[in-house]
Amino acid sequence: MNSGITIIAPQGRLDAAGAPPLEAELKQHIDAGDVRLVVTLEHTRYISSNGLRALLAAQRLAQTRGGALKLCCLSPRLAEIFEMSGFNSVFEIFENAEQAVKSFGELGG
Amino acid sequence: MADLFSLTVSSRLEHLGEISDFIEQAARASGLNDSQVYDVQMAVDEACANVVEHAYHGRSDGTIDIVCETRGKNFVVTIQDFGERFNPKKIAPPKTRDPLSKRNIGGLGMFFMRKMMDRVEFDFSSKHGNRLTMLKKIKK
Repeated sequence: MNSGITIIAPQGRLDAAGAPPLEAELKQHIDAGDVRLVVTLEHTRYISSNGLRALLAAQRLAQTRGGALKLCCLSPRLAEIFEMSGFNSVFEIFENAEQAVKSFGELGG
Repeated sequence: MADLFSLTVSSRLEHLGEISDFIEQAARASGLNDSQVYDVQMAVDEACANVVEHAYHGRSDGTIDIVCETRGKNFVVTIQDFGERFNPKKIAPPKTRDPLSKRNIGGLGMFFMRKMMDRVEFDFSSKHGNRLTMLKKIKK
């Protein structure tokens, strides 16, 4: 496991077309040992069920390897989608990337 | 009488962005507010992704016809395809409160469609294929 924290910032739409490339990118990082990930949704203007599934798949994989995927910078509308679907209980969600990164340190891992 | 907006695209996921822009234009013209426009965009996005994935099984040579119109105080979207017959009863609703390890996330697209719209109806005939009609009440 690498000691660093990887920050990923998907752009635009995480729909059925946009989700697979993100899932592949996240998997690539986790397979390389970067299991502590922060996905900032600052530049993500839309997320569909496929986008949520991609994040969930990466979260499961990261946790299996002793890491975690954390989220930050959700717009009110994205936050509502996470809440409505119950996905807010699957991820730790922070207001900004700095807080998300810091939270890994506080947990000692 | 409001205008009829129609769009026909091939069954490719790459068209989802274009479909979303089209819905935004039609929904704004009918007087939906920002939040309602977003709801309809999401419902249609999920529906069209389902058409590509389930009706056409990822094939890109199918067609998706989308028609939007204002009927009284309702904004109505009709999505038609000629792929495999869709049976909504086969889709189990997702368990949105289950823990991560137990979560079965099939049916999440359908869950959002029903959440975002006031009415969702599926219809099939050999003549017109799958026809999905979704309605959103226009609230000022």
